Parts: sequence; C-alpha cells; structure tokens
Amino acid sequence: MARKSAPAAADHMWAAFEAEALPHLDRLFRLAMWFERNRSEAEDLVQETMIHALQSFHRFQPGTNCRAWLTTILQNVRSNRRRARGRSPLVDDPDDRIGQATPFVPPLPQQLTDEELLAALRRIPAPFQEVIVLCDVEEMTYKEIADALAIPLGTVMSRLHRGRALLRAELGAPTQSLNRRRAGI
Amino acid sequence: MECRDVREMADSFLAEELLTETNHEILRHLDTCPACRADLAGRRALREGVQRAFHRAPDLGPSPEFIAQLRATLQNPAHHAPARRGVRFQSWWALAATVLLAVAVGLAYRGRDWITATGALARAAVGDHRNCALQFRLAEKPTSLEDAARRYGASYRVLESQPPNDVMTAAGPAHVVERHACVYGGRRFAHIVFTYRGERVSLLVTAVDGAVTLALPGETLPHLTSPSRLDGMSVVSFRAPRQMVFFTGDVVENDLVKLADAVAEPLYRGLAASESVGARYRSWTSAVEDVYALDLGIVSSPVGAHASRAR
Repeated sequence: MARKSAPAAADHMWAAFEAEALPHLDRLFRLAMWFERNRSEAEDLVQETMIHALQSFHRFQPGTNCRAWLTTILQNVRSNRRRARGRSPLVDDPDDRIGQATPFVPPLPQQLTDEELLAALRRIPAPFQEVIVLCDVEEMTYKEIADALAIPLGTVMSRLHRGRALLRAELGAPTQSLNRRRAGI
Repeated sequence: MECRDVREMADSFLAEELLTETNHEILRHLDTCPACRADLAGRRALREGVQRAFHRAPDLGPSPEFIAQLRATLQNPAHHAPARRGVRFQSWWALAATVLLAVAVGLAYRGRDWITATGALARAAVGDHRNCALQFRLAEKPTSLEDAARRYGASYRVLESQPPNDVMTAAGPAHVVERHACVYGGRRFAHIVFTYRGERVSLLVTAVDGAVTLALPGETLPHLTSPSRLDGMSVVSFRAPRQMVFFTGDVVENDLVKLADAVAEPLYRGLAASESVGARYRSWTSAVEDVYALDLGIVSSPVGAHASRAR
C-alpha cells in the first residue's frame, strides 16, 4: 500500500485544519478577549490554543463539534497559564460564596442596548459568566461545557440557573432605580 | 406540570437539553398559560440579546493584523509536527527502570481493573436511571434507538425489539414504557424503562471500552453487581460480547435478578449476533464460554468448541 510522504501528509493536515478550525477563529478570539479583558493576553492565548490544536488535529474526530473542541483546548491552555503564574485555578466553585439564595428576578426592561447587556454580564461572578457565554453565545451543550471547564454536569446546570437569575437581576436593577428616580421617589 | 416546574426547566428547554417527553409536557403547559409563555419569551430574548451583543461588540473582535500574523505562524512547518508529550529521561537506564516499574504496577493492578471499571459503569447506570427514568433530567436529550444504531452501531437496533414490550418473570409481569439512547456522565446507553413490581426499573446497555477487557467466570450470566445497593438502587448486570448490561431500580434484588433472567438469553444472542462474534447459531451457554475463552486469549479466532456449563 502506498504511503503518503511526510510533506504531503502535512499539507493534507493543514488543508483539513484550515477548513475545519480556522473558520472559528473570530469566535474563539471573542471568547478569549471576554475572559482575558486584555488584547495582548487574548492574542497570546489564541495563538497558543491554535498551535496546540494544529499539533493535535489528528485527534480531532471529523463530524464532531470543532468549536467546542477548540474551546476546550483554549480553557486548558488558560488554566495552565494561570497555574504557571501562581493564580487561582479556574475551577473555583463560587457556589459556597453565593450560597443557595437566588436573587429576586424582576421583569426585564423592554429595550436593552448591547452595552447594557454585556455590562450586566460583566457584573456577575466570572464562573457564572463562563457558563452563560459557553451555553448562550457558543451554543455548546451542557456536556461540552462540563468537558471544557472540567466541572461536573450538575455544576454546569446549577451555575447556569443561578447565573441567569443573577443576570436578570442585574438587568432589572438599573431600570427599577431609574423608574424610581423618574417617579421622584 | 405546574408553572414552577416550567420555570425551573425553561432554560434547559430553550437549550434543547430536555427529554422529548418533558418538552411535550412543557409545550402543553405553554398552550394554556400566558404567564409562562411571557416568561419563556423573556428568557429567549435575553439569550438572543446576549449572543447578538457578544458577536457585535467591536472591542471583542480580532484585528486583521493578528489574523494574518497567526495564519503565517500556523503555516510554518515547525508547528505541523504532532505535539510530543512526556518526560525527558536523563539516561536510557532511567527510562528502562521506569518502564519496568510501570509494567510491574500494571500487572499488579490488572486483576482489579475489571472491578473498578464495572463499579464505575454501574454507578453511571444508576445515575442515568435516576436522572432519565425517574427525574426526566438529562444534559443531552435522548435520541431514538434507530438513530443511535445508524450513528454508533447495530447493537442499538437489537434493543428496539429486545426485550419484548411485555415480559413475564417469575416475580410477575414487566412492561416496557420507553426505549431510547441517552448519555449520562459522558457515557452513552441504550435505555429501556420498565414498570415492574410497582416501580420504574431500567435496563441499560453500554459499550465496553478500554478499561473492561476481562470477562470473569459467571460475569456473562446475570448476577448482583454489588453486595449492597448503589445510591439506593439494586443493580444486576451481565457481560455481553461488547457491552455491559445493567438492570437497576428501587426493587428487591431477587426480583431484579428474576427480570434479568427472563430477558438475558435472547438479549445476549441479539447483541452477540449484531457484533458478528459468531454466536448466532450456538447455544447461549456455549457462546458465553467461547467469549470467555476469547477474552482470556485461550483461542485466537472464533471458537468451534462447545463447552457446556450448568447454570
């Protein structure tokens, strides 16, 4: 049986990577930018993620969710970098701090700008932001999120539940105070 | 279903993470409840709003210069070689010593592997039973067995008709109420739910991979998986050629064994035939022995010998 030469195999791998993985670059970068809040850090993170992905692309199963695969690598790279810098790991469980209390959820204002939505998302604790972004923005399944963040499935579900309640509370709060100011209270 | 239930599951409903039956219950509730419809519309609008805002935010996007530079970096052949992982050894002696140690540890633990692996599978089966058959709460929505057969292998098709919908056991009748494929704890199961002895009881079939490779004597016949209950559930299992088959539910162990006994033989035959291990025309007990022999490496090809064993 004829074997492909090494350069031909590399070309084939690059072509497949270009077709499958590179189209997700924009979304992957937005994710990195949201997490890191710093352009230079985000660029480093995405570059390292894509190099890892290219070198491991033989392990990617065609037909599965490539964006979720890349997101998992990005989270792993992010965790390793934080660990190397001696910062707290990403798997901190905020549930103890937040407790079981779910805040009062007021009705949402009808008109919300993009800035108001993202600012409210920024104000909730990072672990809740993560699951909301991966679920609602990246449309990853609960299982994919659990794999990417290395947390149990039940934690994904509870964080989503509480995170959304916190987000709705954040979005409702300014409007309530605005309405009160308008009413002269 | 009440408003409180719908609101608790609303986000999972929007994320398409619920069972088909639960979706239908929610849709039925929404037909008659304007308040929940409004709540759901609000949640949907919030999801879509966050997604839109995220994709449109100009300060989150990559610069064209970065994209161009990254493409150039990735096209560099130096980055195309598969990543090498592992420890750099100071000398070949150190490497040889490490390999010997690893082999010794591996041999010492090999005998325990099947216990650990079967225990992990049994816990996953009990978890699936609780989440899917009792609480209707799963991360991934179940799919039909036919769909699973197309995607993951012919053995799922066997479970479409095996066991039959009505089974008579020595402890009374069992009736199938649901058949599907679902995922729990990262493991895919063919899942059949019975009503039996006044309880919901699950039959769960999952592919055996890497960790479980050794079929022990008696493992291919239904037996209690654990001397005590797992998470409050009785568990009975047997080993098929390429699968583990679990029965679990909040019923007395002996009753569960009777259900397993009533369905095991035809189910084993069906699974064996679907995997083409050559068991189609042999008796169940001889097929059991053959697979046992194959797994132990006693023979290297499908066996013709017909060993017999009293059950």
